[in-house]
Amino acid sequence: MNRRVFLAGLGVLAACGPSRPRLNVYNWSNYIAPETIPAFEAEFGVRVRYATYESNEEMLAKVLSGNSGWDVVFPTHNRIPPMRHYGLLAPLRHAWLPNLANLDARFRSPSWDPGLEWSVPYMWNATGIAYSRGVSPAPAAWANLWDPRLKGRLTMLDDPEDVLGACLRKLALPFSSTDPDELRRAAREAIRQKPLLRAYLNAEVRDQLVAGDVLVAQMWSTTAQQAIDASPRLAFAYPAEGFPLYLDNAVILRESRRQALAHRFIDYLLRPRVSATIAETTRTATANAAAQALLPASIRDNPTLYPPPEIFQRGIWPAALPAAAQKLRDRLWTEIKAA
Amino acid sequence: MSRLRSWFLVPAWLWMGGLFAAPFAIVLAYSFLTRGAYGGLDLPWTLESYQRLADPLYLSILLRSFLMAAAATAICLVLAFPLALFISRSGRRRNLYLQLVILPFWSSFLVRLYAWLFLLRDTGLINTALQALHLIREPLPLLYNDGAVLLGLVYGYLPFMVLPIYATLERLDPALLEAAADLGARPFSALWRVTVPLSAPGIRAGVILVFIPCLGAYLTPDLLGGGRSVMIGNLVQNQFTTARDWPFGAAVSVALMAVVTLLVVLFLRRGEEAL
Amino acid sequence: MKPRGRLLGFYAALVFLFLHLPLLTLAVFSFNASRFTVWQGFSLAWYRAIFHDPDLMESAANSVVIALAATLISVAAGTLCAYALWKRRSRLISAGLYLSLVTPEIVTGVSLLALFQWAFRWLGWRLGLHSVILAHVAFSLAYVVIVVAARLRTLSPTLEEAAMDLGATEWQAFREVTLPLLLPGIAAGALLVLTVSFDDYVITSMVAGVDSQTLPMVIYAMARRGASPVINAISALIVVFFGALILVSERLAHAAEKLS
Repeated sequence: MNRRVFLAGLGVLAACGPSRPRLNVYNWSNYIAPETIPAFEAEFGVRVRYATYESNEEMLAKVLSGNSGWDVVFPTHNRIPPMRHYGLLAPLRHAWLPNLANLDARFRSPSWDPGLEWSVPYMWNATGIAYSRGVSPAPAAWANLWDPRLKGRLTMLDDPEDVLGACLRKLALPFSSTDPDELRRAAREAIRQKPLLRAYLNAEVRDQLVAGDVLVAQMWSTTAQQAIDASPRLAFAYPAEGFPLYLDNAVILRESRRQALAHRFIDYLLRPRVSATIAETTRTATANAAAQALLPASIRDNPTLYPPPEIFQRGIWPAALPAAAQKLRDRLWTEIKAA
Repeated sequence: MSRLRSWFLVPAWLWMGGLFAAPFAIVLAYSFLTRGAYGGLDLPWTLESYQRLADPLYLSILLRSFLMAAAATAICLVLAFPLALFISRSGRRRNLYLQLVILPFWSSFLVRLYAWLFLLRDTGLINTALQALHLIREPLPLLYNDGAVLLGLVYGYLPFMVLPIYATLERLDPALLEAAADLGARPFSALWRVTVPLSAPGIRAGVILVFIPCLGAYLTPDLLGGGRSVMIGNLVQNQFTTARDWPFGAAVSVALMAVVTLLVVLFLRRGEEAL
Repeated sequence: MKPRGRLLGFYAALVFLFLHLPLLTLAVFSFNASRFTVWQGFSLAWYRAIFHDPDLMESAANSVVIALAATLISVAAGTLCAYALWKRRSRLISAGLYLSLVTPEIVTGVSLLALFQWAFRWLGWRLGLHSVILAHVAFSLAYVVIVVAARLRTLSPTLEEAAMDLGATEWQAFREVTLPLLLPGIAAGALLVLTVSFDDYVITSMVAGVDSQTLPMVIYAMARRGASPVINAISALIVVFFGALILVSERLAHAAEKLS
């Protein structure tokens, strides 16, 4: 009995023994290709713990305390100012990120991080309208989502920023408005629309679009592309009044004890081949120009994932909002949901 | 005799202090702070969150949750009582029937919610079957409304109502019903005037065990309700995630706990403690 | 059987159907070759997908470890607590236990997260399996105490007194006399905690750390993405597993009753 216990103990110790360094990466779901992590682990002789989340809030709730244990996370661009404010981010050393040059020029000097001192653009998407081709006339603007004929077959995103933003743009008001009157007008629009809605749903509406339960949905471009892949009957439109663009970025947390390894990982993700493989497998839009060049034409020219410049110009980058505006929006969102 | 008892209570005191009182005290403290510039917490101390709570919007949400929970509890009671009665009268098979009631409970709560999504969707099983039988032409909107949420709540908490009522009915002396019959009472009358009152402790326990979780429910309204309405549980969840307004979320939590405590104190009388 | 008895039986059958229908359909369609509700042939593809998903397997393993650890701690602490309360009431502890039982999950989760964040500030702890286990003990202790207390109430205190009259110490009386008689209650409490812990989503998702993703968290994420019949397959497996667990424990309880 004693000997067996002893041997078992040795076995356990051996398993825990001097192991390879480990990097903890927390990313959105469906944002990596199957071979990406194993290839990184093999090349650098390390281990990677990779887990996923479904929303910025889920990630922030863990990270905000400063003891989450994650090294690299991928916030959307307008969460970066708050993360900086709370001292959650580690400054980036460009000397360790030679592949930064591969980035698309459009994303090289963004307003939230002009020198890319804190974040590295990764993938981007936009919010628009996914619809079934049977709907006529085809929706081309946010205003089309208030059409009474769509009653019961229409969904909006379960996200205050996207819904209020769509209402604001419908009224030709700024997307990131902080003016209380404008916001209240937008909320009234949303409440007007609510009887037409089936539900406020995020990615789970994709299956219902494919099955035909839902005809028109406010939807992110990458999720819409997944739906289109499953059913050629579907299409995606970038609304005429303007639409939000979202850029997900890789950042290193200040709490991370493996800063050098984290840099190496991000640099690895910036390699053209790696980024292209991810973009191809996941059908998401990469911020890496060199990778775009490597993509097959069918994806590179896909109008849903990579809209042409004239459409891209209508895009708006939602800004991080000050506390008062955030509070008002939140209250209005509760009002809309409770209506 | 009391020395052993004191030692035995040490783990419970640790739990009480560390895992119950301390967390709650922290949340209470949070409710008096201010929301930080981008979320989280900041000084100064303020009553602002509680003042905000007095707004008709939030009171209406509380009322709505109350009504929803009450409806679910009432439906559970009506459905559970005959079932508990049946099981208590089943003699040898009563353990089997109890297992059958409990078995779905052992599976994941999420899984059961997902099952209802699967059944109630437009292309879900119920609509597909009804259409195949030519009973309806267009699918019925069974999902993303209050009815679906009510269904989910009742389904999830029915066993919590059945078990306490069964426990009381089982200990009932059949001689009492015989006596009632001897005195000329008809079966239904005996049921209503003898059995039901005697099972009141079980009914009370069941009502508490169903009403309280329903009041604080968040997953069921979230998944089955399609985000169309807000219950207290959703409100709290929202404050700690999307809105990042922790003080307000904490205030709503404290208010909810206060309401729950009041209900328990009012509803359960002395001497009826289960602990 | 009286007509009313038959009516009652019919009603009971309907309710049982209501309780089991969703799970049965999930299980049946977990063998469906197609993703959608139209039956397209028998297939084990989704079950195979489960075993090829390392994340899923790991989160399942985490769930099991957490459930076992939480059960062990809760049962030990809860049994001792119930016994002590049986000897002499403590209003404060009873009140605390009862309140913890009726606290909405979201509030428990939030307050425990707050506690762990303060623990980090002063003790440098990180979130991990241990924080999830502690959280599970927090909300499941009351279940054990209630079940064991109910069992204790069916025992007569004179048994222990008799033992002590015969020369046993307090501790011996507890260990040799009361504890064996408590076993069915302890087993029931353990089963309850095991299930509640394995199933928990709300509280776990708030206090989980880097390495502590659990099965309910994975299922929730999949449901959020509108994912596939893999969820059907997982749920069928879970129900079968727990059903078997109940059957086994029922047999054990029967055997224990016969022996005592």
